[in-house]
Amino acid sequence: MSELLTLEQVDQDGAIREAAERVEGDSRADFLRRAVLFGGAFAGGGAAVAALAKPASAASRNDVAILNFALTLEYLEAAFYTEAVRKGALSGRTLEFAQIVAGHERAHVAFLKKALGSAAVARPRFNFRGTTSNAAKFRATAAALEQTGVRAYGGQAANIDADAILKAAVSIFTVEARHAAWIRHILGQAPAPRAFETFLTMGQVLAAVARTGFIVAAPPFTGKHT
Amino acid sequence: MLGAFKKQGGARVALLLLFLLAVAAAPETASAGDGTTTVLTQVGGVARWAALDRVAIVRAQPSRTAKKIATVSPITREYTSELFLALESLTKPNGEEWVRVRFPVLPNNRTGWVRRSVLGSYRIVRAHLVVDRARFTAILYRRGRRVFRSQVGVGQAQWPTPRGHFYIRNKLVGYFDPVYGPVAFGTSARSAVLTDWPGGGFIGIHGTNQPGILPGRVSHGCIRMPNRAIRKLARLMPVGTPLTIK
Repeated sequence: MSELLTLEQVDQDGAIREAAERVEGDSRADFLRRAVLFGGAFAGGGAAVAALAKPASAASRNDVAILNFALTLEYLEAAFYTEAVRKGALSGRTLEFAQIVAGHERAHVAFLKKALGSAAVARPRFNFRGTTSNAAKFRATAAALEQTGVRAYGGQAANIDADAILKAAVSIFTVEARHAAWIRHILGQAPAPRAFETFLTMGQVLAAVARTGFIVAAPPFTGKHT
Repeated sequence: MLGAFKKQGGARVALLLLFLLAVAAAPETASAGDGTTTVLTQVGGVARWAALDRVAIVRAQPSRTAKKIATVSPITREYTSELFLALESLTKPNGEEWVRVRFPVLPNNRTGWVRRSVLGSYRIVRAHLVVDRARFTAILYRRGRRVFRSQVGVGQAQWPTPRGHFYIRNKLVGYFDPVYGPVAFGTSARSAVLTDWPGGGFIGIHGTNQPGILPGRVSHGCIRMPNRAIRKLARLMPVGTPLTIK
């Protein structure tokens, strides 16, 4: 299917147009343009992606913040796995895990960036502090990242305003949960150690990410002269 | 027997100390017709801050229909949690809880009200940083006691470091720019002049690669100090610390 889908084709029940009327702080034209592009990008993939074609329809400021939060985590994971594969320290099933998960995380990044359009946060710079060039450190870090990802997505589910965004988030959430189980299995740990999961708030997740030192943020009060 | 008694006595003393600490940190509460007000931060005493758990709409009064002052994202430009300094809370008779906060939006020193539900758990800070623009000093107090002092550089006359009450928003390390030294704190203060700078002209507290020009009016508004001093401050001052610039 081409990128030139019309809004009517994508939005047969009018949900996108209805949501566009209540977008805060965003131009309606820009919003609708993103909705069409978004629908075009995913309309070729059957029923599952049809559900994913709707997130752009619900760009409340709260949902934009949640999507940007998710994008920040996905940037981190995608960069981590991509760098680990590139550095060549992995082998066997750990390498297989890293290669496959790297592809998933890059797909998540592309998906979220497309959904957010110009509202997407910029990709941070990363310093993984040696965890991508040592197989044991890589496995331990991957397990921590995936577990944090699961708890982060789970923590936001109840905060999401739009059903379409919730569907998209859940579709990523379940994949992150499989990643978490997979790396736990590689580590020789129980893939599903509990019947119920505990979730984290956005603040707790960002604080945990900050503690890793993986995101290297330059001071924003910048210019070379402050 | 005596040992057991001493152990019990020690435990009692520890419990008493914990109780006294809890009482000392407990916020002051007062009731009136429009609800119960609780003081959460006393500058120079106990301060409370909280990370945003979702987008916060800041209003002029504790009411859903009050004028909207700002909408603030829960993630900062530096990928850290946005946080507000919690000044007081108001629990209305219907159970709705509002919090008056200091927040990082111009004009400086403004406060506003947010729903309690947009904030995470309160964190307690007992530190207070005071920057004196006339004396070019930064002094950190903890529990009222001075624990740190450094000479600093502040904004030049045309780009003044703003005066008022602020707080520390985040602590940045690991970047690769010697201009800022090894550690930089982001604050809620913003330049009233350089509003078009990246990130919106936030005032930072950071190290320097030019220690020879300190102290003085040397910056575009940021507070600079020698790298040795900023490293020490990084060990002593947590995020959420109230900041007074006078």
